[in-house]
Amino acid sequence: MLELTLILLIILAIAAMQTRSMRNAVIYLGVFSLAISFVYLALNAPDVAIAEAVIGSTIATILYLVALQKYKIFTIYYRLQDAEIKDEHFYASYKMQLVKSLEKFCTKQELEAQIIYTHEQLADILIKHQYALIVEEHDDFFSIYAHHENYMLDKLEVFLEHEPPFKLPFRIIKLEEMESEVIE
Amino acid sequence: MTEHSSLLSRTLGITFPFIILFSIYMILNGHITPGGGFQGGAVMASIFIAKYLIVPVKDIRLVGVQFVEKIALLLILLFATAFVISGLNIIFPSFSQVYMVVMNVLIGLKVACGMTIIFYRFVYYESR
Repeated sequence: MLELTLILLIILAIAAMQTRSMRNAVIYLGVFSLAISFVYLALNAPDVAIAEAVIGSTIATILYLVALQKYKIFTIYYRLQDAEIKDEHFYASYKMQLVKSLEKFCTKQELEAQIIYTHEQLADILIKHQYALIVEEHDDFFSIYAHHENYMLDKLEVFLEHEPPFKLPFRIIKLEEMESEVIE
Repeated sequence: MTEHSSLLSRTLGITFPFIILFSIYMILNGHITPGGGFQGGAVMASIFIAKYLIVPVKDIRLVGVQFVEKIALLLILLFATAFVISGLNIIFPSFSQVYMVVMNVLIGLKVACGMTIIFYRFVYYESR
């Protein structure tokens, strides 16, 4: 029985490494903790077994799941000029194309897109709000601002290159520090 | 965990008192059976995690929990020092059992408060 559990441990560890979805990996780790606490029990260490079962498979698993949940919402601020909010001109199809493909990207990555239309100044958005992306439109191009630690950015760039060509070109700007690039 | 599952909250509501009883048993019998202050405290902290799963409302004042944790730490230090200095266990050999139970209770209180603080801080305050 002990040998079987030890083999199961190896299988679970490899499964946690090789699975594609983060959520599955967390669940595999929880089962791993439960199995290793059984091993401790079989080796006559019930104290360690209880601690491992409580901490490894309850508290750590729930903390990981909450952390995954926190990363799930992808907030996109879409900055408009003042006049556009009034006449709802921003629903024009050639402008919605970028928003639609951003939503498609979020669905593909199992994220939940939250798009907020605003006409605040860019510097205000950067300081006050928690953003994942900021889309700003100019007369003949879009600019997409993102924090340089945003871990989705590389995937987003690859995704947007493979999309059908946009009517308006876009450029992606990585923000190193808050203020320095906003001013210019 | 944003959407609320009624199945989960019903079952956790039923098991809630048993978790409390189990943790108290584990702390009070720590000196003769497996378990003890740390494990019992961790089980007691999982009560608050279960409470978060049932109703995700923040109605715990973390400052109060922090205060209890600090008091428990102070009592642990004072009690252990007083026990060693006074030499009570040499005069009354049966007193060491009382000492272990009291220390287990204090350690359980401290661990429960500490883990609750870690969890609630993480869930409600830290983002990004």
